[in-house]
Amino acid sequence: MNYVKHQLSLIILREVKMLKGLRNSFLVIVLGILISACSTTATKKTVGAGDVYTGTDTVKYLATGVADRVFFATNSSKLTAAATATLDKQADYIKSSKISVVIEGHADERGTREYNLALGERRANAVRDYLMSKGIAKASIKVISYGKERPVNTESSALAWSQNRRSVTVKSK
Amino acid sequence: MKKFFLTFFSFFIISQSAFALVKIDITRGNLEPLPAAISRFYMDDPAKFSKELKNLKLEEKIPDLISTNLKRSGLFNIIDPKSYIQSPSIAHMKPTFQDWALIKAQIMVSGKLVIDSKKRLRVEFRLWDVVNAKEIEGLALFATPNSWRRIAHIISDKIYERMTGELGYFDTRIIYVAESGAKDQRVKKLAIMDQDGANNKYLTLGNELVLTPRFNPTAQMITYMSYFKNLPRVYLLNIETGMQEVVGDFPGMTFAPRFSPDGKKIIMSFAKDGNSDIYSMDLATRVVEQLTSHPSIDTSPSYSPDGRYITFNSDRSGSQQVYVMKSDGSNVKRISYGEGLYGTPVWSPRGDLIAFTKIYRGNFYIGVMRSDGSGERLLTQNFYQEAPSWAPNGRVLIFYRETKAGKSGVGASSSLWSIDLTGYNERKIKTPTDASDPAWSGLLSK
Amino acid sequence: MYKSVSLSVLFHIAFIIFTLITLPFVKKEPITAQQLIAIDIIQISEKTQLPFAPKAREIIEKIQKEKEKRVVTKQAPPKITPKEKPKAVPLPDQLKAKREEEKKKQNPEEIKELVRQSSEFEKKELFDPNKIAALIDKSKEETAEIQRKQTLELTQNQDSSVSLNKGITLSQEDAIKAQIYKCWNIPLGLPYDQNLLVRIRLKLKPDGSIMFSEILDHARMNQPGQAFYKVLAESALRAVKLCDPLKMPTTGYEKWKDLQLNFDAKEMLRG
Repeated sequence: MNYVKHQLSLIILREVKMLKGLRNSFLVIVLGILISACSTTATKKTVGAGDVYTGTDTVKYLATGVADRVFFATNSSKLTAAATATLDKQADYIKSSKISVVIEGHADERGTREYNLALGERRANAVRDYLMSKGIAKASIKVISYGKERPVNTESSALAWSQNRRSVTVKSK
Repeated sequence: MKKFFLTFFSFFIISQSAFALVKIDITRGNLEPLPAAISRFYMDDPAKFSKELKNLKLEEKIPDLISTNLKRSGLFNIIDPKSYIQSPSIAHMKPTFQDWALIKAQIMVSGKLVIDSKKRLRVEFRLWDVVNAKEIEGLALFATPNSWRRIAHIISDKIYERMTGELGYFDTRIIYVAESGAKDQRVKKLAIMDQDGANNKYLTLGNELVLTPRFNPTAQMITYMSYFKNLPRVYLLNIETGMQEVVGDFPGMTFAPRFSPDGKKIIMSFAKDGNSDIYSMDLATRVVEQLTSHPSIDTSPSYSPDGRYITFNSDRSGSQQVYVMKSDGSNVKRISYGEGLYGTPVWSPRGDLIAFTKIYRGNFYIGVMRSDGSGERLLTQNFYQEAPSWAPNGRVLIFYRETKAGKSGVGASSSLWSIDLTGYNERKIKTPTDASDPAWSGLLSK
Repeated sequence: MYKSVSLSVLFHIAFIIFTLITLPFVKKEPITAQQLIAIDIIQISEKTQLPFAPKAREIIEKIQKEKEKRVVTKQAPPKITPKEKPKAVPLPDQLKAKREEEKKKQNPEEIKELVRQSSEFEKKELFDPNKIAALIDKSKEETAEIQRKQTLELTQNQDSSVSLNKGITLSQEDAIKAQIYKCWNIPLGLPYDQNLLVRIRLKLKPDGSIMFSEILDHARMNQPGQAFYKVLAESALRAVKLCDPLKMPTTGYEKWKDLQLNFDAKEMLRG
């Protein structure tokens, strides 16, 4: 979430620069500060617009700096910018350490059980497809969906649900 | 001419008498359950009954169970047996209707137990219309004494049928998933019980996750989903032999299984490269047919009772909605157009309605609509409830609910509930443990 | 040598135990909760018929039809629609035979063109079972209002055509209705989408007690798929019996000795 906004502010900066030229750089800097102020206040919220979890509370690590999971918006299997950044690191790690992985797809408890199984499958496959696009062999990735059966946060709250809408990459034994 | 005159004359008479008739429209009545008396049964020639049989006290237990069944249906009000005046034998042979009318009973059930010449137990019952002073049903059932619960259920069905004009649902079973343990490591077992919660039995040990069991039409087979060896697949289980097998050889997750109405096919979802479509498999020939082919999630399929149509849910429109198609996969039509999301459509055994789960503004509803999507009616609202399953008469639905959990899952529980098509008579169904994913069998004796 | 053999045996046993444990069904006892025992059922009483006088009925029905044509056009005669009601559990061999007849009944066109449905929420915000009672009350008032208008028209029609028989006054009619309402237990399991009109003809004695009563659409009661109608008709008959004797006006016996009660639960069941 935070990451998206950051990128956004960069883009705006660039556009503004092109439009007004360097002479207005002062104004641009002020604007940039304003926008980044915006995005810093947003970092305090872990569930922002699009309800994708951006915190690190439930996250585990495959290796130092390599988070094991990515989060999704409700009923969505779209990878966010933060998710692809995490998966880039995962891809590098899997390649370098030559391990096989299982990708577990999960859904929150606010859907019907059968639909959630399908949704978890779709999420796990979105991750698999991305890792494959980064050069990981299909043979070294397995996929399993748990639907809403294995929540990581068992509370019934918006925060818990956002933490449960996830895909977790697990080293296979 | 004579004929003409006659018709003219009779016409005159007819119109005369017609205008003399006062017509009154009765459009109201009371919607109270029907007051009914269930008399004790009696033993005919008790000398023939063995001591063990006498100890079973069937003359009390059978009418008691009938009373419980009828009361639970919400359509009958059983009058306290303490107020019954007549002895069970007189009630059964030649009841004095005034005595039953006195305690405001509109119908009365009597019965007797007989050991016949072949030493079989014969259970006889009669249903009396107290107000019109006549017998309206009378049947005898032969069975072994230890099947007395089923006898009571069958009698309950006959009474229900005679008083409502519809099939009953008491001689049925429910398959469900028994749950225990923490919410993030839930242990799930297949369990089966009678419709009233009696004879509860577990069919799996809980070593692997099992979900969504459903009966075949004869209630001898179950199809369900299991995570055996971490491969989520649809399984088939014969509950009489204990034999089980994987359904088909799919290179990925299969889920959401259901039998076709003739029991010959299983319809389910198969997730291929993350995309769930609907497939059917013929159990005898093993022929697999792909019925939908769409990059969206297509799942929760359910056949119409004539097997000619399939309803399912899909998010091809951008959100989860209910669709109907022909059983060969053609003519896909969306039928749910209300606000919110619609899932788990199940076709009523009567064929007229489709029950569903609706998610709207953070609440879950169980509702019904006609098979063309019109006439949507929501029966119950809750924090979380889903997966309705029809009683064989298409009048009652069973489903499960989950409670809202506090920090670290405190207060999380799941339980089975039933509700009438009218939205009345919502009842919790008692299970020894937490429970989910209930499915109703058809009538066992039919 | 011995070591390797015993090791092999050990591993084999371990392997067997492992497979046993990982099999999903370790339970070897019969799983069935209760073996299904065939229970024979026989009828011990004849299915009783409701009382009706065949000849009298024919004549009366004829009169009814003619009368309805001329006077009460609003009230269509009960339509008999055989209801599609497949057995809950069709056995595979029964199904073939059944399929034929089902084909006739259920056309593919039954799944109609998509009709945009306005959400139930637009009408009743959030569904609350407790509100049903209130809704019913409202519909009661409405139907009562409609009926009042209809009967008004009816009496006006009668007045203009025949001046001899005025029948009974509205307040007298309401008094009779109120009595029957209390006596009638509407069966709760009725289909809500069928014609539910039961017409009962009464002949009263001067003291309001019932000389005889009969159901006018008797034929429908024993038609297949109309079992609910029999149930409904019987409930109406019970209502009449429970209300016997009716409290009737002390005068004008000639005007009210012949009554026809039209029982229609439709509005109440729709909620």
